[in-house]
Amino acid sequence: MEQKTSLADALRETISENLAATIILVATAVLAVWLGISAGLSQVIISLVTGGMWALMAVGLALVFGVMNVPHFAHGESFMVGAFVAYFVFTPIRDYLAQNPNPALTAVAPFAGMIAAALAGAVLGVILERLLFYPLRIKSRAGEWVMNAFLLTVGISFVMTNGARLLIGATFRGIPGYWLVPPLEILGTRIAVDRVMAFAIALVSIAALWFFLGRTRTGRAIRAVSQDEVGAQMMGINLNFIFPLTFSLATAMAALAGASLLFMFQAYPTVGLTPLYFAWFVVMMAGLGNVAGAIVGGFIVAVFQTATQQFAGIAWTDVIPTALMIVILLVVPFGIFGSEMEE
Amino acid sequence: MLELTNLDASYGFLQVLWDVSLHVDDGEFVGLIGPNGAGKSTTLKTIAGLLTPKGGKVLFKGKSMNAVPAHRTTQMGISYISEDLNLFVDMSVRENLLMGAYTVKDPERQLETLDFVFELFPRLEERKGQRAGTMSGGERKMLAIARGMMSNPELLLVDEPSLGLAPHLVTDVFNSLKRLQEAGVTLMLVEQRVNATLEITDRAYVLEQGKIVMEGPSSELIENKHIKDAYLGI
Repeated sequence: MEQKTSLADALRETISENLAATIILVATAVLAVWLGISAGLSQVIISLVTGGMWALMAVGLALVFGVMNVPHFAHGESFMVGAFVAYFVFTPIRDYLAQNPNPALTAVAPFAGMIAAALAGAVLGVILERLLFYPLRIKSRAGEWVMNAFLLTVGISFVMTNGARLLIGATFRGIPGYWLVPPLEILGTRIAVDRVMAFAIALVSIAALWFFLGRTRTGRAIRAVSQDEVGAQMMGINLNFIFPLTFSLATAMAALAGASLLFMFQAYPTVGLTPLYFAWFVVMMAGLGNVAGAIVGGFIVAVFQTATQQFAGIAWTDVIPTALMIVILLVVPFGIFGSEMEE
Repeated sequence: MLELTNLDASYGFLQVLWDVSLHVDDGEFVGLIGPNGAGKSTTLKTIAGLLTPKGGKVLFKGKSMNAVPAHRTTQMGISYISEDLNLFVDMSVRENLLMGAYTVKDPERQLETLDFVFELFPRLEERKGQRAGTMSGGERKMLAIARGMMSNPELLLVDEPSLGLAPHLVTDVFNSLKRLQEAGVTLMLVEQRVNATLEITDRAYVLEQGKIVMEGPSSELIENKHIKDAYLGI
């Protein structure tokens, strides 16, 4: 009996300490259930798929901000690069397979495109960090870094979108789908295999990242740098190893998101804008630099979006969630799960 | 083991250390005392590689450390326990300690040191799952010292461990430093508690306004008139 009251007390305490997070989580759950009842389970599944992708994008943003203090506004361009790489790797394979049918290869060919995209992202991340952020960090004086880094990312975004327009052209390059097989039946709803795979890829990548950050020596070092940069150096951690690694991971994840969503977002120079906005939306709502918050936040935002589309109409998709974010930030400026800025 | 010759150090245009020369021999316990703002912490930061000296030389085991960054000094065997502790507040006590052993690649050796540290600070073992950010001031201080020991340093630089601690905890901390010396670690202690420092250390330097004004065996300094007047208030 006594056990029970203390549990209830503990629960009450947790809720009152995290009131904003609790309200948003409960609201999201209610919204998701309502969505399921009134519009069918498929809408809930769509929310999950989009949520996984926003989470994959937002985790990179949270990591880069938390570890390097970079407000990354060129994250969408990593998405764009991923989409293009996947397109240019996957379509020749697909065309080849159309002439030389091979069911086993057809099943795994999409992964070639995605892996290529993730690798390209990883390399791009290292190059950007070493070539641009590293010299900027050396030259920035204390207190100037965040603003300088912000301007640099905006510049990178301009150069990359226009560079893509110049080199590849402003045409839409998309695919009807990676796996052109009949949709799966899940709980009485038909859902495209591509969506299921996109969700699975997001989950696996996020789980792998979580394991890496929590259980490995290098992952712990990344978290150490994000919590106390000077303390991390005192432990013998080399920032010139951790920074490129972090940037590379974030860029690779964004590129992977771009690749696995190629069937939804056709590759073109400014395709990264929408994912960038929503990833920022997620990160600001969850709390800047909060990686766990970014994962949960991705799903929350996706439910808001799907519900808006369903109940208010597709034209409101961006408006209502954005208005909601303004309200959330007015009430809890550091995000619902708290930010490292707070401390 | 450690030798500073004519060291100058500054933050931007503000010069803090002027012509500081001192040395710490193998196995010694050396104190650096002086008033607030004299440059004691700056001296330690420069040795630890967090600050690049403007002039002069830092030699550790005969090697120049002037251009060696902080993470390399740790790998070379210097451990610095800062005044603001720089703990990883969102990590558990155990995780913080394991971060301290980042440069130690052998997991068995990490666990051995962990046992040694837990023996020295039993309180930390009781709290090993607790988040560092939720601990009391005294516990945090212990954790910072314990974490600094996890890299098996040859030279331990300790900055103001007594700051903000209850008197009985200060004794605990000082005793643990003494035990470390007995275990073969060379120590350099920066302190404002002059009396306690002179009682525990072998030798000491007095730093005033960025300059070394006095040095000698601690037992002699404790009898010195200037020290008595300025610091001990007797």
